[in-house]
Amino acid sequence: MAGSFNFGEWISARSVIGDTLCEIGEKNEKLFVCTPDVGMNLKGFRQKFPERYIDVGIAEQNCVGVAAGLALAGNIPVIMGMLPFLSMRACEQVRTAVCYQNLPVRIIGTGGGLTSGGGSTHNAMEDLAIVKSMVNMTALSICDPNMIRDILNLSMDYPGPMYIRLAQGKKDRQLYEPGTVEFSIGGSVTARDGKDITIIAHGEMVGEALDVAEELKNENIDVRVIDMYTIKPFDKEAVKKAVDETGKIIVWEDHLMSGGLASSIADYFVDEQIRPAAFKRFGIPQVYAGFGSGEELRQKYGYAKEHVIKAIREMA
Amino acid sequence: MANKEEVLRLENLAYEMRKKLINLCGVYEGSVHIGGDLSMTDLLIGLFHHGLNVDPNNIQNPNRDRFILSKGHGAVCMYIAMAMRGFFDYDEIVRTYGKLDSAYGMHPCKVQLPGVECSSGSLGQGLSMAVGMAISAKVKKEGHRVVCMLGDGETCEGSVWEAAMTGRSYELGNLVAVVDRNCQMMCSYTEEITVMDPYADKWKAFGWNVIEIDGHDMNAIVDALDSLPPASSARPTAIIAHTIKGKGVSFMEKVVGWHAGSLNEEDFKQALVELAANYGREE
Repeated sequence: MAGSFNFGEWISARSVIGDTLCEIGEKNEKLFVCTPDVGMNLKGFRQKFPERYIDVGIAEQNCVGVAAGLALAGNIPVIMGMLPFLSMRACEQVRTAVCYQNLPVRIIGTGGGLTSGGGSTHNAMEDLAIVKSMVNMTALSICDPNMIRDILNLSMDYPGPMYIRLAQGKKDRQLYEPGTVEFSIGGSVTARDGKDITIIAHGEMVGEALDVAEELKNENIDVRVIDMYTIKPFDKEAVKKAVDETGKIIVWEDHLMSGGLASSIADYFVDEQIRPAAFKRFGIPQVYAGFGSGEELRQKYGYAKEHVIKAIREMA
Repeated sequence: MANKEEVLRLENLAYEMRKKLINLCGVYEGSVHIGGDLSMTDLLIGLFHHGLNVDPNNIQNPNRDRFILSKGHGAVCMYIAMAMRGFFDYDEIVRTYGKLDSAYGMHPCKVQLPGVECSSGSLGQGLSMAVGMAISAKVKKEGHRVVCMLGDGETCEGSVWEAAMTGRSYELGNLVAVVDRNCQMMCSYTEEITVMDPYADKWKAFGWNVIEIDGHDMNAIVDALDSLPPASSARPTAIIAHTIKGKGVSFMEKVVGWHAGSLNEEDFKQALVELAANYGREE
């Protein structure tokens, strides 16, 4: 990242992606970038590597199929697009062309949760439930705009398909000073340590959870925040440790309450007979949300900061 | 014009292949997609035994032509055409087809069966993958072709036409779509359900170089494959092969019920008699 680092400053994850793809493209000839007409931040790559920039127009199914073909020919295609259309319009291509053949296609998109501002057509609120269910798929949800640089670099040597979820990607809050946190595919970050209760979050909810933890510090409630940026396979050790050390667990995500990370963790508790002292989840109820900002919609549908704070006070 | 001896050789292979298909259909307890297998038998013989640059002893050869079977339900037809070329063992196919742990399933799986370029079975997805492979070959300046076999029925899928547009836009002269235009789907005749004619005009309108042939005329198949524009040219080619579903067996030809099925003893014998009458040659 250029310039000095200011914690909490907002930068665009999309521009970091554009820059990173250019950097990787220089040293890795296998990298192709594919998009169904969502290439605003890929202009640099397009200029530098016009032959390896494939814009198929507004055709997600074809985009994923073409990427699968590029991967079959030994390349590493990165698809950049809007998540609801990549995960749903092209769902079967992702499942059958990419996952069944276990191809190293990377699907990166924006619109995770209720952040798109475009209404229910443009909100990816069920995407993790969908892609998590696909055999061979690795799924990540990125909060910190700089994290995407490391993840993209790591993904070049990672086998099999990968799905990477962003919020809007236009203006993202920096949570970690570049170079201070080591990310790994399959890993998590304990963004804040605490001993009374743990919030496990991903994507934009990590920053929100850190705000909640800061506020509750004044009430002598010590909140741990885990940034579970790998959704599948998630970091079970970190979850187990949180249960052992803090007892109470909250999972907070900008995704349907059912089918996302909370469901994965609940499955884990059932399978391993792990009994946290308390377990609660916050996310999107069964509703097609209307219009409004992400924060407004979180308030409307009961998974904003105030709801989480209230729940923690009751659990403490 | 195609070499006469070569055409005769290929015609004999196609006859052998029809017998092998009928044999499998008679032996296998389950259902075989025999109708669409018999409609593309001549095309697959033309491809695997004449047109495609492939080598069963070097299946990873980077210069090989790539073949994608988008109509994946015709897998066994491809397995047999490839077995006759030396890729697989026909007896093993007959012995294990569709059984637990067999690599030879109803739809091809590249993970389980090396030599197959691409897993398929969900219709309408093959051409996009072929486009991706052709783009890669073009960018890397590899001279080989990518050939994708589609059923006409699956071209109801919109994704086929998305891929057709990309093939033209990226000027993929190394891409060839072969359409098995047998005018039938599983439950109906295409024109009764989804009007596809004028069929070749659709591909022309998408900017493709179009060759129309009788898909059972080996002379025409060889001519079409021999006269493809250079892989470095700007337009992809669609070979529209007019075919008959169930070709060679009278009670299967153009009969909707024979999209897939199995043969009882009597039909099995009758089918072999008919194949001999239609394709057998006096020694």
